[in-house]
Amino acid sequence: MPDDIRTLLSLVLVFVPLSLLSIGGGASLLADMEHQSVAVQGWTTAREFADLFAISRAAPGPGTMLSALIGWKAAGWAGAVTATVALYLPSSLVVYAAARLWGRWRGSLWHAAVERGLAPIAAGLILSGGIAVLRISPGGPVVWAAAILATVLLLRWPRLHPLILFAAGGGLFGLAAGLGR
Amino acid sequence: MSKEARLGGVTAEPDASVREDHRIGLTAIFAAFFWLGVTSFGGNTAAWLYHQIVQRRHWIDDTEFLSGVALGRIVPGSGGVNLTVQVGQRLRGEAGAVAAVVGLLSGPLVIVLALAVAYTRIGWSPAVHAILDGIAAAAIGLTFATGLKLLPSGSSRVGPLAVTLATVLCVGVLRWPMLPVVLCLAPVSIGLALVRGRNA
Repeated sequence: MPDDIRTLLSLVLVFVPLSLLSIGGGASLLADMEHQSVAVQGWTTAREFADLFAISRAAPGPGTMLSALIGWKAAGWAGAVTATVALYLPSSLVVYAAARLWGRWRGSLWHAAVERGLAPIAAGLILSGGIAVLRISPGGPVVWAAAILATVLLLRWPRLHPLILFAAGGGLFGLAAGLGR
Repeated sequence: MSKEARLGGVTAEPDASVREDHRIGLTAIFAAFFWLGVTSFGGNTAAWLYHQIVQRRHWIDDTEFLSGVALGRIVPGSGGVNLTVQVGQRLRGEAGAVAAVVGLLSGPLVIVLALAVAYTRIGWSPAVHAILDGIAAAAIGLTFATGLKLLPSGSSRVGPLAVTLATVLCVGVLRWPMLPVVLCLAPVSIGLALVRGRNA
């Protein structure tokens, strides 16, 4: 078997289990990916992994685009696509099956009750997600203050497009760093 | 705005897993999620999805969105991708789910690889890290604003509000594992909803 096919296969073997075990996503998935790509498979060094993590933070999209970068390091463009599909396809199939099954009972009394019962929990999970990101942010109190300011602005002016706020946040922080040097 | 107005007047639900009332084209689904993918900086896909799919396009309502968030978080995988699968499935079944997920992931995949190539060629200045912090702060703001906007409302909201508060306390503040917390709170909250539904 050629080497590049073997690498693609090992990407699949690493990311498919991660896909199915990563309940709650985020931090535990990150730790597993690091362990696999640095210690077990040797796809990246620890330093390279930290760099890839920083790059994935700069890109839009779901936070776990890091998998594409690990695949890219391991086996180029084909590796990037393979790792992405291997990480997202299995979990997507599970949630697709769940959503279809769930949709069959739409319109029944208890379906409505479950949906209404899950709503306040989901709102709490969204807020908790914000707190979790704030906690791991390397920026410190300035980021906290800016995040609260952004929250107030968006609630006060719902028509404000978030992208404007994103550009302003990035611009102001970049400017401050430039002046501070 | 009333819930009916936000739904664009669509109130009757067909008894099927895919909505038949106003079928949205696959190209439109792909385009909407592609735009969502390339603009959702900061990893807060759910908050962006709420802004672009629920508030701007009215493709699903608040309750559908929130139950999608909850289900997406308690099954394996990325919460944002799981939510995207569910919205796509709701809009156009199997093909809708594929269009939505491929749309969501294809843009960021190309962008993240382009960034990686640029990084290995020219490296990064410290200013880039500062810019990323600024974007992250705005992203957290969007997440908080979305969560606060979706707080339980209406006449009998004391119970649901307590459930939200308990979720934030356990998962956000105390950092307890999410799954057991949700599995404990869900029966209580669903029971509350059943009682409310009976009294209404």
